[in-house]
Amino acid sequence: MNNKIGRRDFIKLAAVGTAVTTVTIAAKGNPLPEAEETSPYRWAMVIDQAKCVGCGECSLACQAHNDTRADAPWNRMIELEPLNGEAVYAPVPCMHCENAPCVDICPVGATYHRADGIVMMDYEKCIGCRYCQLACPYGARTFNWDANTAENTAVPEWGEPEIERRPRGVAEKCTFCFHRIDRGLAQGLMPGIDRQATPACVAACPTGARIFGDLNDPNSPVSLALAKYPSVRLRNDLGTNPRVYYLPARREEEVVEEGVS
Amino acid sequence: MNQKIKLHRFAFPVWAAVLALLMVAGLAAAITVFINGLVVTNLTDLVPWGLWIGIDLSAIALSAGAFTLSAAVYLFGWKQLQPLARTAVFVGFLGYTMAMLCLLMDIGRPDRFWHAIAFWNIHSPLWEVTMCVMFYFTVLLLEVLPIVGEASWFKARWPKLSHRLHGIHKYAPVLAIFGLGFSLLHQSSLGATYGVLKARPIWYKPSLAVLFIVSAVIGGLSLTVLSSKLAALFSERANVRDDILDKVSKVIGWMLFGYLYLRFWDTLGMEYTLEPGRTEGLHILTSGALAFNFWIGELLLGILVPAIILVTAKLRREPRLHLLALVLAVGGLVAYRWDTNIVGQMVAFSYLPTQLEPLYTAYKPALVEVLVGLGVIAYGLLAFTLGVRYLNVVDHSTLPEEVVEPAIMQPAVMPTD
Ligand code: SF4
Ligand code: SF4
Repeated sequence: MNNKIGRRDFIKLAAVGTAVTTVTIAAKGNPLPEAEETSPYRWAMVIDQAKCVGCGECSLACQAHNDTRADAPWNRMIELEPLNGEAVYAPVPCMHCENAPCVDICPVGATYHRADGIVMMDYEKCIGCRYCQLACPYGARTFNWDANTAENTAVPEWGEPEIERRPRGVAEKCTFCFHRIDRGLAQGLMPGIDRQATPACVAACPTGARIFGDLNDPNSPVSLALAKYPSVRLRNDLGTNPRVYYLPARREEEVVEEGVS
Repeated sequence: MNQKIKLHRFAFPVWAAVLALLMVAGLAAAITVFINGLVVTNLTDLVPWGLWIGIDLSAIALSAGAFTLSAAVYLFGWKQLQPLARTAVFVGFLGYTMAMLCLLMDIGRPDRFWHAIAFWNIHSPLWEVTMCVMFYFTVLLLEVLPIVGEASWFKARWPKLSHRLHGIHKYAPVLAIFGLGFSLLHQSSLGATYGVLKARPIWYKPSLAVLFIVSAVIGGLSLTVLSSKLAALFSERANVRDDILDKVSKVIGWMLFGYLYLRFWDTLGMEYTLEPGRTEGLHILTSGALAFNFWIGELLLGILVPAIILVTAKLRREPRLHLLALVLAVGGLVAYRWDTNIVGQMVAFSYLPTQLEPLYTAYKPALVEVLVGLGVIAYGLLAFTLGVRYLNVVDHSTLPEEVVEPAIMQPAVMPTD
């Protein structure tokens, strides 16, 4: 058996190997789509549980505008334990975590942070491995197990689809209606204040339980609400730093007082 | 010196036909999945990783004999293991192809399998696994090509090409280095794939990466010895040196004890963290739906029994017990991978402040999943059978009769029983 390998061969091979690796890594540069550019905005959502009556209109508006499946909503309406005999609801969209586990672990970077903090999906990149579904602590992600050909039952009553349907085999989730934000900003509108520039669920809420805006602006609706009331974020002990805040259900007087302002 | 089971002359065609049939059924099921989408499986948004991932994990782990034995032969100089390394490399090659077939079935967009090469997320353990698997598969391919080239029928037909392929063999030590590196990386990263997920507390621990590589080495060695022994039992074209297999088996036995020790502390440690979600997960393992798998499949039959048999010369030299122990060790690894993958998905902690009850889920693979899985396994078995018949992948006859005990073997083998 002649399987001797000369020292020269070995060095040559090792050199070539190292060179190839270095060149590949260098050519790729920063492999993450995480944008280098910065944004003056830091979008966040506040959900006031004292005002939410669980009507589910936010979910319907979301289903219509984002053309989601009725049985896989981006905005889930969950009924919690009642407080003082009154029902309490928690609408749960994607938390747009600042430290997003889904962004960390997506093998191809198909889910990524925009500079303004929105956790985005690139449906062209996603390979459908569903790792993100395991990684998200909030169950915010749904997968397209088949092609969605069903009629959207929320259209046209609750709005018209504003984005394309996702193809079979990719993961999807709430995007804070980035398309409405971007379009609105381009028209000189302010998300959170002007309806057309605000996420569909916030615009649709009949009781004003959903608030949207820029955390960087101390006078934005979200900053004001967070300054006024104590807020909680879901499982922030995990270190995810969600961008969705909840104002817990409060006593009667507090609600009334807040309703005046 | 090899015991043979006398087989009917139709035994091989019947065996091959059964496997081929399973493969056809698997292919039909695969086509159903490709046409209709993954909706025909029993996977859901709550349990998105099922049977196929279980097969992936097991196939990759059981292929670990290839890098372990290649390193032993070409880096540490245990020359008498060379024929065993040859078997392991072939088995490993098949294992990785099986895993990749399953993965291709499993991802929602198989047409984008190459995305991991084009779009990097270096923070993702799964990205690292994918890259390493691709690199290591290349290594395995280069290690298998000489085996094909050396086959007599190949030599007779394409003498020049055969010579070329044989020439690759001189790079075996380099391939062994790369194989060792890539394998150490991705075998443990497969554990880390689960281990980094805070959302599933039963997985969230650094020990998973360590346990995955340790169990893979043991399972891979066991499968290599097992497949060699089975081939020698059933095929005229295979022959093994029982003294060599005996030594490796004894090492496997001691490794199993070491692994049991790690598992003991790993399990005990989880009992005391009292993390929401983790405690529930642990209870599923120790007293819930997976309790039988865990206590009997993973620990008793999967580790303890084979460990005792393999370290005890008297028991180990009983051919049937020896085979049984190897089968159990391989089964134990599969049970561990299956349970690990499933348990984290069976309980999701609550993220809502006033809802403290965790969410329990269940999963049973659908028929299409089972058929595809069986088809993939049948492919592996058939390819191995053909390898034994036509590529001499189990052939220890090239070794000198008297094997010299190398000094380096000593410390690895614990005091004799
Ligand atoms: S809630 Fe889930 S999907 Fe949304 S950013 Fe956080 S981890 Fe990602
Ligand atoms: S399913 Fe898509 S988005 Fe989710 S981790 Fe896999 S590739 Fe990334």
